[in-house]
Amino acid sequence: MNIITGLINGMISGATPILLAALGGTFTFYAGIFNIAMEGMMLGGAFFAVLGSYYFDSWLIGIICAILGSLLMAAIFIFFAVTLKTDEFVTGIALNLFALGATTYMLRQIFNVKGAFSNPGIVPIPRIHIPFVSQIPIVGEILSGQNLIVYITVLIVMISAFLIFRTRFGLRLRAAGYNAPSLDSSGVSSAKIRTWSLIICGILCGLAGAFLSLGYVTLFSENMSAGRGWISLAAVILVNGNPWGIALISLLFGFTDGLGLLLQQYMPSQFTSMVPYVATLIALYFYSIQARKRKT
Amino acid sequence: MQVLIEMKDIIKVFPPNVVAVDQVSTDFRKGEIHAIVGENGAGKSTLMKVLYGLEQFNHGDILFQGQPVRFQDPGEAIAHGIGMVHQEILLIPQYTVWENIVLGAEPVNFLGVIDRQQARKLVQQKVDEFQFNLKIDDKVDDISVAAAQKVEILKLLYRNVSVLILDEPTAVLTPQEIPQLFNELRRLRDHGHTILFISHHLEEVLALSDRITVMRKGKKIATVQSSETTKENLAQMMVGRTVLFQSLREKSIPGAETFVVKDLTYIDGTLHKRLEQINFRICEGEIVGIAGVEGNGQFELVNSIMGLNKITQGQIKVTGIDITQAEILDRRRFISFVSQNRGKMGAAVHASILENVMMTHHRLNPHFTKWNGLLLNDNYARQFTHQIEEQFSVVMDRMDNPFRSLSGGNQQKVILGRELLLDTPFVLLDQPTRGLDVGSIEYVHELILKMKEQKRAILLISADLEELFRIADRILVLHRGMIVADLPTEKTDIEQVGYLMLEGKENDAKETN
Repeated sequence: MNIITGLINGMISGATPILLAALGGTFTFYAGIFNIAMEGMMLGGAFFAVLGSYYFDSWLIGIICAILGSLLMAAIFIFFAVTLKTDEFVTGIALNLFALGATTYMLRQIFNVKGAFSNPGIVPIPRIHIPFVSQIPIVGEILSGQNLIVYITVLIVMISAFLIFRTRFGLRLRAAGYNAPSLDSSGVSSAKIRTWSLIICGILCGLAGAFLSLGYVTLFSENMSAGRGWISLAAVILVNGNPWGIALISLLFGFTDGLGLLLQQYMPSQFTSMVPYVATLIALYFYSIQARKRKT
Repeated sequence: MQVLIEMKDIIKVFPPNVVAVDQVSTDFRKGEIHAIVGENGAGKSTLMKVLYGLEQFNHGDILFQGQPVRFQDPGEAIAHGIGMVHQEILLIPQYTVWENIVLGAEPVNFLGVIDRQQARKLVQQKVDEFQFNLKIDDKVDDISVAAAQKVEILKLLYRNVSVLILDEPTAVLTPQEIPQLFNELRRLRDHGHTILFISHHLEEVLALSDRITVMRKGKKIATVQSSETTKENLAQMMVGRTVLFQSLREKSIPGAETFVVKDLTYIDGTLHKRLEQINFRICEGEIVGIAGVEGNGQFELVNSIMGLNKITQGQIKVTGIDITQAEILDRRRFISFVSQNRGKMGAAVHASILENVMMTHHRLNPHFTKWNGLLLNDNYARQFTHQIEEQFSVVMDRMDNPFRSLSGGNQQKVILGRELLLDTPFVLLDQPTRGLDVGSIEYVHELILKMKEQKRAILLISADLEELFRIADRILVLHRGMIVADLPTEKTDIEQVGYLMLEGKENDAKETN
């Protein structure tokens, strides 16, 4: 029993950062931006979360700093890709490399450490224990006691689906991706819609980063996003941006993440760390078969 | 009738020094259909874009209902009740008709949630009011181009536009769809809307509009009542000289047999017989036209002659040489070919003019290469391009500019120049004047006749019967992949050919000659 709840809880915490970043990515996906900068935004968020939490002794300020840090990345992306109309792919790569270099540099300059900074002074984001629910055997261990961000994420999935498919903003957002000149000729600036989608993406990636460094673990280490931004991109593309589909795929990746941790008891960690990436390849394989079936 | 919009002395200069609109004054009245005609580049679209706020004018005044206005962007124009439908369809294929119509002006509940019921109701009301034959829940991807155009118009009507500017709306429609559009536009006019209609199709303009403004080289030539003018009159104003809509054929004695197609049959990959037992010959100095409703085998015939599809049976000969099995490049030694699709088969639009001129020649003519064909001879190519520029009076800036920077007429001149200078005995022209304006069409016709003088054999495929009657010596009628008639042009008339195209046989009732 412990193994199962452990596995499920591992799945949930593994899925949360991917899911948040992917939800951010889905807004830009619908807005017609080829946005690969989730990785960099998440990493920036993770660093600033630790910075804020450590210096202000508050996980809330940590989250706010994470969002601001990630928004800074988004602002750079907006300036280049939307305002100056540089290539989105190149801009994204530059931003991801910049985030990696800048956080590593600041880690060494500000905290005077190499590799990772962990300190009792970093205040983690609390886990929420729901009264009564936590009493229920097994289910209670899953539904209750999760990190605050996990509950927020569930809420964001629902809000995203609603926003994208039901509201005026959503209609315009998707229009920007399907045919931007049409939206512009309807009197709505597609550049403005794209800017908003990147701002939303920045906020969500900031939350993802905060969860990584103040929830999943309580420390910041170099390149701690470790490809999760790329996996989130894969998730978005695999399900064509549908928020519920993204949630499902993220849970699958989270599961392989947790499985990897579990398997560490039996085999070298170098192999278990591969599991999420191998899973990505397998998912791609099945996706291509599906896509081929749909065509014929 | 009450004057709704007045444009006074409008000047629009595109930097550095292109005067697109030169001191144009005209007025548009409430409840009229007003056509603006002119050749490509005459400034008619620019004038309308100035009115719509897409372009800013440099000088002059626009009065709307007596008030001076200057729209900074189309949004302001729409707010004043002026809307424009562009040539290309700007809709979102993934959205339904009603979603496309309300986009940008959606009825919403609290929290910005779209009120679907209200939106659908408002759109349906407009559809009913103007009797547009549209289902508002259809996906735009699934509807025809003509229907998509209606959606564009409805999109403006939904925003309560009272002036509609249409930029060459018939260009994307099939001949059957045009009368329906015209009926809808007339209905709009009868509801009190004003319609400004850009076109260079004189027949359409005369059929539809109340008044016509003619433009030429940025200047307004005249505004006339449709009822008081003729096609010849309009064409003369448009081009600036008399245009003859009459036969240019000269009596000629055909020489030796140059091009022969014998028993050609083509069955395609889906086992449909596209061409059946095609037989014809073209002599040197002869123009043979092929008439037919589109899709009756013209496309397959062209591809068979060019070697783009493998024929099932039959023989093709040029000057006695059998080319039935020849490679495309080898065929090109005997055949000049002008494709109906300028942008795809006729030219590489992103490549430079120079590169487009070289194509084919660089494989056939050793002067274009040096080092045994390893390097291109740039000097020779430039000289050659210059020759085409002179000989075919192409208006171009620099020969290194991309091909697509040329106007449609000039693109066609470059292609014609390239092909005709291949100096082949046989010339295949597939819709060589499609999409060109009156002046350019005349020029192309003159070129074709010049080739005839040079004793070349010419096969002209055209959807424009008037064109065939103007220059072809014989007309073959293609019907369901078969040649159903071979008529000397002087012994037939348009009605007879039209009947054969549709029915595939002679009109028995009318057999009096």
